[in-house]
Amino acid sequence: MLDKLKKLLENIRQTQFVRSIFRMGGGFPRDVRQRMFVMLNNFFMHLHPVRIPKHAIKIKYTWCMGGLSFFIFLVLAVTGMLLMFYYRPTVEFAYGDVMDMNEQVPLGIMREIHRWGAHLMIITVWLHMFRVFMTGSYKPPREFNWVIGVILLLLTMLLSFTGYLLPWDQLAIWGISVGSNMAAASPFAGTEGPGASLLKIGSINFVHKGADARFVLIAGRFIGEAALVRFYVLHCVVLPFTIMIFMAVHFWRVRKDGGISKPL
Amino acid sequence: MSKEKVTRRVFVSWIFLGWTLFLACLGGLGTMLLRYLFPNVLFEPSQSFKAGYPENYAVGEVSLLWKSKHGVWIVRTAEGLYALSAVCTHLGCTPNWLSGEKKFKCPCHGSGFRFSGINFEGPAPRPLERFKILLGDDGQILVDKTKKFQQEKGEWNDPASFLAI
Amino acid sequence: MEAIKNFINACAVPSRMFPVIVLLFFFVFPVNSFFEKYNKLFFLDRLWTKKGGIFLFSTLTMFLSIGMLDENFRHTVSKPDNLPIVGLIYASLFFLWVALSQARENDLRLEKNEKPKEWHDSQEKILVWPDLVSIELIAMLFALGFLFTWGILVDAPLEEPANLATSPNPAKAPWYFLALQEMLVYFDPALAGVIFPTLIVVGLMAIPYIDNNHKATGYYTFKERKLAITIFLFGWIILWLFMMVIGTILRGPNWNFYGPFEYWDPHKVEALTNINLSEYLYVIGLNMGLPGNIFIREAPGIFLISLYFIGGGFLLTKTVFKNLFKSLGPLRYSFFLVLLLFATSLPIKMTLRWLFNLKYIVSIPEFFFNI
Ligand code: HEM
Ligand code: FES
Repeated sequence: MLDKLKKLLENIRQTQFVRSIFRMGGGFPRDVRQRMFVMLNNFFMHLHPVRIPKHAIKIKYTWCMGGLSFFIFLVLAVTGMLLMFYYRPTVEFAYGDVMDMNEQVPLGIMREIHRWGAHLMIITVWLHMFRVFMTGSYKPPREFNWVIGVILLLLTMLLSFTGYLLPWDQLAIWGISVGSNMAAASPFAGTEGPGASLLKIGSINFVHKGADARFVLIAGRFIGEAALVRFYVLHCVVLPFTIMIFMAVHFWRVRKDGGISKPL
Repeated sequence: MSKEKVTRRVFVSWIFLGWTLFLACLGGLGTMLLRYLFPNVLFEPSQSFKAGYPENYAVGEVSLLWKSKHGVWIVRTAEGLYALSAVCTHLGCTPNWLSGEKKFKCPCHGSGFRFSGINFEGPAPRPLERFKILLGDDGQILVDKTKKFQQEKGEWNDPASFLAI
Repeated sequence: MEAIKNFINACAVPSRMFPVIVLLFFFVFPVNSFFEKYNKLFFLDRLWTKKGGIFLFSTLTMFLSIGMLDENFRHTVSKPDNLPIVGLIYASLFFLWVALSQARENDLRLEKNEKPKEWHDSQEKILVWPDLVSIELIAMLFALGFLFTWGILVDAPLEEPANLATSPNPAKAPWYFLALQEMLVYFDPALAGVIFPTLIVVGLMAIPYIDNNHKATGYYTFKERKLAITIFLFGWIILWLFMMVIGTILRGPNWNFYGPFEYWDPHKVEALTNINLSEYLYVIGLNMGLPGNIFIREAPGIFLISLYFIGGGFLLTKTVFKNLFKSLGPLRYSFFLVLLLFATSLPIKMTLRWLFNLKYIVSIPEFFFNI
């Protein structure tokens, strides 16, 4: 019986169809050669090298935090797309939509996963940075990858900032208020910032309430629907897209810089 | 066609021109993109409102009547009335009027303002703003939020910032 | 019990707790032989052994679980949006221990002229399939399981619908921004909201270019990178995590300060009349009005700031950082110094506020320029 099943599986594996999908034939890699082949012949696996020094897989060394940050990002992307099906970014609907989110479907915990996932990702990214620092892994030739890492950190925090505004509840709107008023305090670029009042010809100010850093952020002089749409687009399109590009470069650089850092 | 040699000078000039044009185009494109972030038409509520008759306000009290709708406190002193903006000059939260302690206290980072709107505690860098206030033809108070008066610029002496009674 | 609680409440006031924590920090992470001596004397180096780890972990757990018996403490800590910060306190303590216990191990080896532990491990090569891939799979499943459990147990919070007329009291940003919000109490928005965050990002990016000690790469160590690690940990633990915990747990209505076991009374009165340096000097000191001319008015403040950056910079260079200046070279060193002076200006300004109710050192509200 078992033999027959094995035979059947083997036959399926040998079909043109399966062989066309898995470049190495779909078998479970058994020997060293095959194990090296999986890594080389699979798009998702080839993010990794084939062989690595042993310390690089020690949890005690990497804490797995970079990998987990990436994984949680993927979870957030999937759950976020599900949430988008039920969310309308308007002042009229946003709050109600978020409130109903859990009732839309049975077992609706996608909002919970998305929200707690966002918190968790912040923690893992911070801890990842901490371990990279403590192992001195930012030193040459990895300096620039650290810089990319800082950009990733910034983008992660911006993603959460834009995200928690979307429910349009009290937390959201006061977060926007305070955040956008900080923008208004930027030197030269904001009406309330130092230097802005110097940028004028005669009595015409270049930087005023209708044209400053705050205005760009909330698309108006007061917080309202335009601001919600702006943050929605940033949260769902601009920032995820940007962070994916930087992540790609980050991973590529990890490999090009010689893999996980190791003692010389 | 002649096989004239292109001199170094001419060559450099063309390169220079080419790059200038290219950069100018990029700059134009950038400006266009940036300009796209600033809409021409804003859908924002009207900025002035009628605030009833002066007799409705008791001397020495801060009226919370217009706070939620218009973000304005109307304060009545013995001399008259002024309209205080209910926006913290720190980062824009809405302070609360604590009648017991006779101060406006901001819940966000703890700025405090006196009855007059002058800041005295917490991080707020300057006093609350006052709005233009006048008596309409129908005897009602009119508050115009497009015109504001800042104490640190000495604008509270402006007669339009105060409705003497 | 009440007496202990009141005692802890009184100790938790930042003006008392902050200096203690900072002092403790330097003994726990000794930068030089002076601190090292006391570090050994008080057995603080043992914190990074297994026993020390158990001690740290159980002390924290004991504090939290006994604290949870108190209603006020439970109320703040168990808010759904504050749960992550409890997790973060545990996680950062745990990983601090993980990093430093390995550093301790390696330092002992290095003292004996042996290679670090990671060096021995890295001599052997292994295949990514299945060794790494399987670990990744387990980690992913674990993370997913963790998230699902969390999601099922705790509902995502949703506050009242947005209302521009009433700010919630206290109005808090999510916990991961609270260190910034705490900074806003002491600095002008332009500094706390724009310039400091920019400097944090720039400073982080500059780390690999400033630290030219290229020796200790790829293994945990403390002894070989004392200064770098101490500065980084000071920023991470004191200026970031500690301030965040203050902002989350110890700030209540009207952004007043409340002890961990204190009831959040919205009518608590704290007289916080803050005074600018110019007012101190001209009004209180010289008993005259503020000068009309802005520059005369603010000259003392501008002088102090320049003294801090220029004089303080020179002093540091001539004394504690003498060797560092040599090893970093002028360019690297100047970047380092400026960033460092900015970073230390935060605790300095905080202290000035606590001691003298000093509001701004330079205050030119006419141009929205305050320091
Ligand atoms: C979205 C956030 C991030 C993701 C998904 C990510 C992912 C990763 C992964 C998967 C690795 C492989 C090794 C490991 O897991 O430790 C790695 C390495 C690295 N990361 Fe990140 N990272 C992120 C943010 C950061 C940040 C904030 C920094 C620092 C500021 C940083 C700096 C580095 C450096 C320097 C390495 C090389 C470490 C070595 O060679 O040992 N990354 N990152
Ligand atoms: S917004 Fe009022 S104190 Fe910060």
